[in-house]
Amino acid sequence: METFSLLAHGFAVALTPLNIALLLLGCFAGTLIGALPGLGPVNGVAILIPLTFAFGFDATSSLILLSSVYFGCMYGGRISSILLNIPGDEPAVMTTLDGYPMAQQGRAADALAISGVASFFGATVAVIGLTLFAPMLARMAIYFGPADYFALYILAFITIGGIAGVDPRKTLISALLGLMIATMGLDPISGIPRYTFDNYHLYDGIDAIVALVGLFAISEILMLLEKAAKDRAKPIGIDSWIPDFRTIWTTKWAILRGSVVGFVAGVLPGAGASLGSVMSYSMEKQASDKDDTFGKGDPRGVAAPEAGNNAASGGALIPMLSLGVPGSGTTAVMLAMLISLNVQPGPLLFERQPDLVWGLVASLYLGNVALLILNLPMIGIFSRLMMVPTWALMPIVAAVSFVGVFSISNSTFDLELMIIFGVLGYLLRKLDVSLVPLVLGLLLGGDMERNLRRAMSISDGDWGVLIASPISVTLYVLTVLFLGLSIWLTMRDHKRMQSRTMEG
Amino acid sequence: MSVRLAGVAIFMIAALYTWYGRDYTASFGDVLGPSVFPMIVGIPAMILSASLVVFPTGQVAWPDRSHMLRQVAALAILLGYAFLLLPLGFPLATFGLIAGMGIVLGGSPVKAIILGALFAPALWALFDQVLGLPLAVLGRWFS
Repeated sequence: METFSLLAHGFAVALTPLNIALLLLGCFAGTLIGALPGLGPVNGVAILIPLTFAFGFDATSSLILLSSVYFGCMYGGRISSILLNIPGDEPAVMTTLDGYPMAQQGRAADALAISGVASFFGATVAVIGLTLFAPMLARMAIYFGPADYFALYILAFITIGGIAGVDPRKTLISALLGLMIATMGLDPISGIPRYTFDNYHLYDGIDAIVALVGLFAISEILMLLEKAAKDRAKPIGIDSWIPDFRTIWTTKWAILRGSVVGFVAGVLPGAGASLGSVMSYSMEKQASDKDDTFGKGDPRGVAAPEAGNNAASGGALIPMLSLGVPGSGTTAVMLAMLISLNVQPGPLLFERQPDLVWGLVASLYLGNVALLILNLPMIGIFSRLMMVPTWALMPIVAAVSFVGVFSISNSTFDLELMIIFGVLGYLLRKLDVSLVPLVLGLLLGGDMERNLRRAMSISDGDWGVLIASPISVTLYVLTVLFLGLSIWLTMRDHKRMQSRTMEG
Repeated sequence: MSVRLAGVAIFMIAALYTWYGRDYTASFGDVLGPSVFPMIVGIPAMILSASLVVFPTGQVAWPDRSHMLRQVAALAILLGYAFLLLPLGFPLATFGLIAGMGIVLGGSPVKAIILGALFAPALWALFDQVLGLPLAVLGRWFS
């Protein structure tokens, strides 16, 4: 019951004219950013953060703007997946598998409508989950001491790379590099400068937002320059935007299953929306691919991953808000913004700033409705805007990133730093090293060290304090299990790869 | 090979980081001191990057020479912008950035120059006039 009154209060916050305007703007901009190939949610949100500073909004309004951009991106990613066979962002990869074949068969309107409806349900399930579970998690997290937080951060670094795929060592190295960067600047406890190379610009440490915009936006430009400069493929033309509602109805179970699977994947720290959509697609394929129609334009193959990635992106907000540990790259970027605005996410956030938390939750409910309305009839507009060529889009993205970063401290040193981070991000991406752990290390490094030192001060130098509480022991056990699982999966993939090359 | 080289580079950075971190001395009342955390971070980074040198995974496909030249050109434009923003002022520097990047990204030069000529003043008007970020119209070299 208490949750309902808090939520009602949240709606009062979200329904102020400024916040409604930001919500609609964010939904529109987000859908567009998601639809444009090359600009994913992380980039979109990273570029917009300096702008929200420029506007001078308070934390609640900024967070509403960025969250609606985030949710909008998840909706928008499917448009280019279906019409161009190019995923607008990483989580939309799975949507190309059945979405593009549907468009080729002249069922683009159905595919777009199904993905819009699935996105709406997935995101709504996630927001309901957020309403119910985030306060519960926050209440539990009140009991966390410094040593428990230290253990939680370690768990986050181990899990952020996701379960399958890349070499876990690379993920860990990425996190450690982030932690190294986080220690640059004046040590918060003793006040001595560390790794500043006597450069006074570095005494404050490296601004996370400068690093983020460089890592994501600048490295994306370098990635784009690798590809041939020729123009993109023409999208599939569409005669009618009116979908067949019976087809949508047939995907209801796929949507439901995808939403639940995606939500669970999103709540796990680090897994994020990409894993959510991959898991929902493969589960749905196992559950209902009886006639071998998946991959050839099955509507359920569009519905499940779309529901999954939207549910996951909402779920990823739960650990970010209630523990201060983001569940995905984009929520990590949002965390950076909150820290810059002097808002510390974590269990106390729910007590101290209920306006912010519940205003955000309420605006997510509203944003979903707005996105559904925006996305069904206005799909034609987005599909035309999507055709802005890269050579025109990316220079403007670069210019806006520069202004935003410059506005943080009015120094060109930050611009140089941003370019250096861009090159670093590009090299790491080429080496298959995920940037998200690095960002997480950069963001959480300070707190991780402070908690460790606080715990050690309490115990007067006894390292045993780190495993003295049941909470920290549980977290370490989870960490070891997760690490074991990911090493096992990597070894298995490696073996499979080898046997495959032997056969070939 | 690239992964091995990256492993060596990261190992060197981590080793230097750990080496410098040793010397940060603890102040009074701070049990752990400022140098233990860098050790906790630096030593595993050394071990992991060394293992990457010995057992590398993954292949890296670097772009060919012409694409790499375009990347270098793009970086030169970006760095040039960072150095010339204050001397030239915002609209001129941004014009150069947008037009230059447009050409590097494969747009036709005429179109890229038109894009820059339209968007540089538009962005200046948006940020300086509407949003109130002070951005100089003309830089140091003109005053």
